Amino acid sequence: MSNERKTVAVLGAGTMGSGIATVMARAGHRTILFDVNEANLERGLGTVRSFFDRSVSLGKLAAVDAEAAKATLVGATDLKELAASDVLVEAVFEDLSLKKDLFGQLDDIVAETTLFHTNTSTLSVTGIASGSRRPERVVGTHYCNPAPLMKLVEVADGRHTASWAHDATVEFLAGLGKTSVVTKDRPGFIVNRFLIPWENSCIDALENGLATRDEIDAAVKGSLGHPMGPFQLLDIVGMDIHQQVATRLYEQLRDPRFFPPPMVERMVAAGDLGRKTGRGFYTYDDTRLFGS
Amino acid sequence: MSSQEHIGLLGFGTMGAGIAQVFASAGHRVTVLEADQARLDAGFAFVGDFLAIGVRRGKLTEAERDALLARIEGTVNAADLADVDLVVESVTERSEVKKALLAKVAAVVGEQTPLLTNTSALSVTDLATAVPNPSRVAGLHFFNPAPLMPTIEVVRAVQTDESLVQRLVALVASLPGKEPVVVKDRPGFLVNALLIPYLNDVVQAYDDGLASAEDIDVALKLGLGYKAGPLELLDMLGLDVHLHASESAYQATLDRRYAPPPLLRQMVAAGRLGNKSGSGFRAEES
Repeated sequence: MSNERKTVAVLGAGTMGSGIATVMARAGHRTILFDVNEANLERGLGTVRSFFDRSVSLGKLAAVDAEAAKATLVGATDLKELAASDVLVEAVFEDLSLKKDLFGQLDDIVAETTLFHTNTSTLSVTGIASGSRRPERVVGTHYCNPAPLMKLVEVADGRHTASWAHDATVEFLAGLGKTSVVTKDRPGFIVNRFLIPWENSCIDALENGLATRDEIDAAVKGSLGHPMGPFQLLDIVGMDIHQQVATRLYEQLRDPRFFPPPMVERMVAAGDLGRKTGRGFYTYDDTRLFGS
Repeated sequence: MSSQEHIGLLGFGTMGAGIAQVFASAGHRVTVLEADQARLDAGFAFVGDFLAIGVRRGKLTEAERDALLARIEGTVNAADLADVDLVVESVTERSEVKKALLAKVAAVVGEQTPLLTNTSALSVTDLATAVPNPSRVAGLHFFNPAPLMPTIEVVRAVQTDESLVQRLVALVASLPGKEPVVVKDRPGFLVNALLIPYLNDVVQAYDDGLASAEDIDVALKLGLGYKAGPLELLDMLGLDVHLHASESAYQATLDRRYAPPPLLRQMVAAGRLGNKSGSGFRAEES
């Protein structure tokens, strides 16, 4: 099954959706990128295409393979166009009722055996699955940003996920060249579950004067083998995103380690969101991320 | 500070051996004090094995290795440390042992000779009370394996003279590839103050069935680019070493984030200490 060509619909043409659509097209699946907003959709399709073009210019992909991947990709703004999908990957805005509503509508459009994947990072898979009349086919598949470059996918079953859906999901992800880890439907899965308190404690250490920004970044890299320091990473993630994820996890867990320290709110209020605004913990002349 | 220093090193275990290598490879002379000849032999064997890998990988020549080893000498007699320029203590993490040894060495060396401790879990300020002129005491905290890890924490105790802090910063900066970070004498200093709660949190979540030990490590390595996953890291550090650091930090702060999770205590009680015992979270008994 993993080598079989499938029809995969990716819902939501934002950063994660277009990244996931890139993965699907690269793996040879017939890929439909869906967004209700025509302009968002065009931007997302452009992101996917330019990723392939850049891969060619960097010598990482043969031109013929890039053309083949681009040829498998189509856009859609009407859910009815997703009827032939074998797999749906939901990557829309992190709003529970929006995601539930989408899965409910898709129940009437796609086949009964179509897998429903949600790329939620902070909501409950079970909660999202409750929007479908067939929650047994809903599986959490959490990709990392940027999805085309990051191998990891966290797989989390909801309370009603069937073993056939879980097993088919793990096999499908292996066919994409991804490494899946199996975790529980708990807030933050594995990576955010540990990253958020870690980043918060580093921000606390800075705010409490334990050491300077540069010292903390250097010490974490120089003693723990992390590829970048906590403040370098936060500047890439974006302080607004960190604040949102941390707050959502705190709301579910009520554990103060997840609550964003006061410095986060001040930085967001000041517009110092990180690399994308040119200033976060550090200042940047180039606001592009990942060379995009 | 670029001149050759004579380092008196107390303890030739894993950390002591690494520290001896760091100073000797930078051209300093090291005299290591150990309790008996067998421990000295074990320490020299450890350094020799480490350097043999370096020679095999072409990182240093045999001649360089021999010159480095020639700069390290061992002794079981504290009186042989009389002329050292600095003392670095790296013995077992027990307060009474460190204090007794520092007092004994303080009686032999010059009365202004800096006495530095590589403790990771104890208070430098408290250790400094064991010797005359405690303003010459500071922490010099290396990470394992010391020859490979760039960061060295320079710990300023309450009594530490500011000129000593500056001297240590210059010394560390003069060691090839090393970066000093000046930190306060808080439990865990900087790095362990951040690391201990994270590792304990992982152990508890693992015990709570979040995912397999392997999947937790894989997720954090692939998701965040860490060289080692947290459970692999614990196996490398030694679960007993982590438990002790965690207990010390908890006792000093009563902050529950430092409280050792029950599974950690149980693993140590069962003798599953990580790589060194052949069994831990990831290490398998073979």
